[in-house]
Amino acid sequence: MTTVLKTEDLRKQFGELTAVDNVSIEIDDDKITSIIGPNGAGKTTFYNLLTGVLQPTAGSIWLRSGDGDELVDVTDAEPHEVAQAGLSRSYQITNIFEGLTVRENVRVARISHEGTRLDFRSRATGDESVEADVEELLELTGLTHIADTPCDTLSHGEKRTVEIALALAIEPNVFLMDEPTAGMNPTEVAEIVSLIRELDADLDATFVVTEHNMDVVTDISDRIVVLAEGAILADGTPEDVLTDERVTEAYLGSDSV
Amino acid sequence: MSATDTGGRVSQFGSAVAEGWTRERFGLLGAVALILIAFGPPFQVYLFTDFLVVALFALGFNLLYGYTGLLSFGHGLFYAGGAYGIAIVLRDLGPVFADVVGAGISPLVTFVVGGVVGLALVVVVAVPVGWLSVRLEEIYFALITLAFGMLGYSLIIQDPAGLTNGTDGVIVLLGTVDLGGVSIRVGGRRLYYVISAITVVAATYGVWRIVNSPFGTVCKAIRESPDRAGALGIDVRHHRWMTFIVSAAIVGIAGVLRAGLASVASPGLTHWSTSAIAVIATVIGGATYFSGPIVGAFIFLYIRWGISRFPALEAYWELFFGALLIAVVLFFKQGAVGGLHLLRDRLVGDGGGGGAAEAGSRATSAPDEATESSDDDARTDRGDTS
Repeated sequence: MTTVLKTEDLRKQFGELTAVDNVSIEIDDDKITSIIGPNGAGKTTFYNLLTGVLQPTAGSIWLRSGDGDELVDVTDAEPHEVAQAGLSRSYQITNIFEGLTVRENVRVARISHEGTRLDFRSRATGDESVEADVEELLELTGLTHIADTPCDTLSHGEKRTVEIALALAIEPNVFLMDEPTAGMNPTEVAEIVSLIRELDADLDATFVVTEHNMDVVTDISDRIVVLAEGAILADGTPEDVLTDERVTEAYLGSDSV
Repeated sequence: MSATDTGGRVSQFGSAVAEGWTRERFGLLGAVALILIAFGPPFQVYLFTDFLVVALFALGFNLLYGYTGLLSFGHGLFYAGGAYGIAIVLRDLGPVFADVVGAGISPLVTFVVGGVVGLALVVVVAVPVGWLSVRLEEIYFALITLAFGMLGYSLIIQDPAGLTNGTDGVIVLLGTVDLGGVSIRVGGRRLYYVISAITVVAATYGVWRIVNSPFGTVCKAIRESPDRAGALGIDVRHHRWMTFIVSAAIVGIAGVLRAGLASVASPGLTHWSTSAIAVIATVIGGATYFSGPIVGAFIFLYIRWGISRFPALEAYWELFFGALLIAVVLFFKQGAVGGLHLLRDRLVGDGGGGGAAEAGSRATSAPDEATESSDDDARTDRGDTS
């Protein structure tokens, strides 16, 4: 067991409002961790702090970078620096390159990972190792049959899968998934859950998931962290957390699940 | 019945045309056309040169707009930069070169050196201007580039350094090359056309290579979603900055050619209304296609020329373009090239069952070429075509 992501007293203040309140957490590489909480609990702000979209008011963020065991400080890093350091994300509202094909989407991610984005002389399709990696990833995520389809014509479920393929293409140590099943029908949910399990088994990346669908949460999580009003309310195995009275109270107090 | 038959025939015709238009044949046809134009009437040669220069201007602009998603309203600054660069070299250093390399060949040498200096000047200006501009996005980017363009306009007119000759601009005299009795005017319409055609074709090929490189692929990704690109480890701001500089350099080459063609580098080149020409040509032609700005420049210049044939209408040519632009923006978002693609899809694609099946066997080789050429026509892959 190794810690891949750590926050220390992380806090984010928007004027008077404390969106994230002294959150200290360590994410281990041998578990799928879910971060849950009622609407407005600070999950999205927490994600935006981790990924460098927002700068914290106080506290620090540490990330295992590359193959080393050392944690590096990414508190003040910009989003692209965080990504390069080894943290990848998917978005709650699908965020992919809609106008490009599935293959081109993944190719962009591989170009970024290989660091060849400033190469303006070669053909984009000319790098054989990149192309091989792209094909492998499409295979892994089950997208090969729609590889040449422009993304704006895909179904919602397919777009969510492209989102996952993109995030994994940069070979992250940590993969933050923001509501991977948002807006999906039950069949698509089942598919994405089994894909997440498969990928978690196959890849080195450590999965961290936020999710509203409690069936999914209990299904895939080894550990659940509950946020309420910006602070950690409960932290433990699914059995412990979901029977915790304070958790039930927090949920019933605002939106029911 | 008869309707289906017609559909079949139209489809057959369409497939036959699509089959005939391979990339090689298209290129050959273009090359022959370019050569033939050199022997046309002098005014037509001039007009076509004008078109080539504006096409390169718009093409450079579109690298930033259509491919990277940043609308600049100040690319006239780089157009003017190229023009003034060569104009000042010709004026101030022409005699020096005549002493060094001999009077016979010096006009050509000065022209080439002036072009390189113009290009270098543009890059030197684009580095800081781009660095500041890419800090902003969308409308703010458009406004800051507009401001830089007008800043250049005002500097050129005020002429604090005594280089740009104020509102009159700098006269460009390309001179005559004299090679032991054979003398050719560099600024002569036919020779200047040849110089421009070679330069523009080479630069266009360069842009084509860039948009199909890893660099260009990342540009398209940034256009589609800057957040997503950043979350994949791409330094979006840096990439936009680099694209800004490349785009400015292409426009600078067009500016160098413009100076020789117009025989003057004038402050109007960096006025926002000049920057707008690139925007208008690109939108009319279709920003999402590689060929969009080229087709747009063609339509822009030839319609303007067509209108100028009718003196009664000439005063209203801007009104006419306003109307055309409204029509394109409202009904033809993909521009003229988008319209052509739509037409081609109508003819080749879903022409009617019978014809398609009949054409099937012959068409087996065609689709490959058709798809390939549609890639080559280089949709920049934004938006939907169907």
